[in-house]
Amino acid sequence: MTAVIELENLVIQLGSRIILDRLTGSLSGRCIGLLGPNGSGKSTLINTLLGFYRPLQGSARIFGKEVQTHLRELRATIGYMPESDAFIADMSGVHFVRYMAEISGLPPSEAMERAHEAFFYVGLGEARYRKLGTYSLGMKQLAKLAQAIAHGPRLILLDEPTNGLDPEARARMLELVQEIRDTSQVQVLISSHLLRDIEDCCDQVLILKDGRIAALCNLEEERKSNLKFLELEVSQGNGFVESVEALGCECATFGAGRLKVVLPDHIDLRHLYRLADEHSVQIRRMNYRRDSLEDIFLKAMSTGAPPPVSAGSTNGRL
Amino acid sequence: MAVYKRTYKAYSGPLTPSWSRFTVLSRYGFQTLFQSRPFTAFTVLCLIPFLAGLAFIYVVNNASVQAILNVRFGQTPIINNAWFMTFLGIEAFMTFILTAWSAPGMISRDFANHSVQLYLSRPLSRAEYLAGKVSVLAALLSLTTWVPALILFIVEATLHGNGWWWQNLWMAGSIVIASLMWIAVVSLLAMALAVWVRWRIAATALMLGTFFVLPGVGGVMDAILRTNWGMLFNITYDLSAVWGHLFRLDDAARHAGGFDRVPLWSAWGTLLAVCAISLWILVRRLKAREVERS
Repeated sequence: MTAVIELENLVIQLGSRIILDRLTGSLSGRCIGLLGPNGSGKSTLINTLLGFYRPLQGSARIFGKEVQTHLRELRATIGYMPESDAFIADMSGVHFVRYMAEISGLPPSEAMERAHEAFFYVGLGEARYRKLGTYSLGMKQLAKLAQAIAHGPRLILLDEPTNGLDPEARARMLELVQEIRDTSQVQVLISSHLLRDIEDCCDQVLILKDGRIAALCNLEEERKSNLKFLELEVSQGNGFVESVEALGCECATFGAGRLKVVLPDHIDLRHLYRLADEHSVQIRRMNYRRDSLEDIFLKAMSTGAPPPVSAGSTNGRL
Repeated sequence: MAVYKRTYKAYSGPLTPSWSRFTVLSRYGFQTLFQSRPFTAFTVLCLIPFLAGLAFIYVVNNASVQAILNVRFGQTPIINNAWFMTFLGIEAFMTFILTAWSAPGMISRDFANHSVQLYLSRPLSRAEYLAGKVSVLAALLSLTTWVPALILFIVEATLHGNGWWWQNLWMAGSIVIASLMWIAVVSLLAMALAVWVRWRIAATALMLGTFFVLPGVGGVMDAILRTNWGMLFNITYDLSAVWGHLFRLDDAARHAGGFDRVPLWSAWGTLLAVCAISLWILVRRLKAREVERS
């Protein structure tokens, strides 16, 4: 997959403090999660991608183009939803989104049409003529999303999109992000400190700690690899375990029909079902052990030195 | 795409030219300003001196109307450099009120609502953002200063005849330069104060203070230190001194107006410094707001 964002030894210094320290990595997911505790450099990375900070050293590229040298061109292809409240209180929602779309380069009539569409898309169609200052927090977040997508960007940067939202609004926001991701017309980068948000939406995650990369892993591959490690509970059946081992699986038995099985690459669940059928064994319980994003995150945070990882290469084991 | 098809769709249609993006800010700025009826009414009011000037020029150049009105202006030319400078002075006062009214709201609401980062995350530079905002004021103030003054100049040249046009052509340049100088000073200063204090009412108060309180401070300084340099704190005085030079007032007139109390270069220097400092504040504040967090 083509890289969306490439970081090469990126160093950002603000004042005398190094905020991002030698970040190197390639992000190519359809939806990329940017995780890290407060102050880890998530927003600084987003601001660097928007060209607001000039690297002291190294570079950042979006769609293969250097951010600092193709700033204007890249900004036209990016939609940005900032973390803080950002709108014009005495403008109506649709007027504001139209205004922003026009600044992004859409002709007035197209901008108006897209603004209406964006408002209906995020579910604020009925409130689009109300002034933004009268919106609730959840509505303001959705309006910010509308302004980020109205001009049809190729990359959307969402900085803490679910901040301050109630559970219902949060679910709605995540649902929208997933829908946008699944259209395959745009790539999304979400910065959040909420693991659940990232886990629900993202297929790749970059974890920052103290301005350095603590982990960079492909969640899709992580999920696939976890499928290979099974915990089974079966009725007693002669020869089942031996047959499973004969397939090339590693098995460990724990009595009372409990098994732990590691499947090799060429074996999948269908083979086990077939064997169970042949041996008249009931599979009463089957779990695949899965490293949750929380496990990955906690491991990354507890690791002292940042591991030099690349997408998909480590399967999330740090 | 119809609104009922609620799905995300990338945009692949035409785009406006890259250089023209700042004009979007100007257009929206004008729309916002003229949504206010009192503001629209006052803008129209600013044109009353122009209409009065037009009528006056007509009367001065028309003997039969003078006879009807029973007035005589004699042989001394009345529509001259001093007349145009006075006209611009009246318009400048009106436009000062216009600026104090409109400028703070134009930029401080972007700051108050943290929306600067949304503008600048788009293909719009800080300079273009400022150009978009300043152009609203520049256009508005132009329409109430040098544009009507030039129209009066042309009308006078047409009615007067006898080579008046060629003899006074330099005055057209003076009208434009003097007006642009005023527009630059007042717009940049108003915007810089607006981004500095963020609160619209405070920005307007500060603007009034700069023009009406600061000269008082300068006067006190002059009285205590027995000097004239305190006059430089009076932006209106600085402008008048420069205008007096641009409109080629003779020494007697300049002395009578008190425009020779500080050297001309210091008045120019003060005005340029005000513009430069205002611009510096604007750029600096804008840069800080790019990456604002709540």
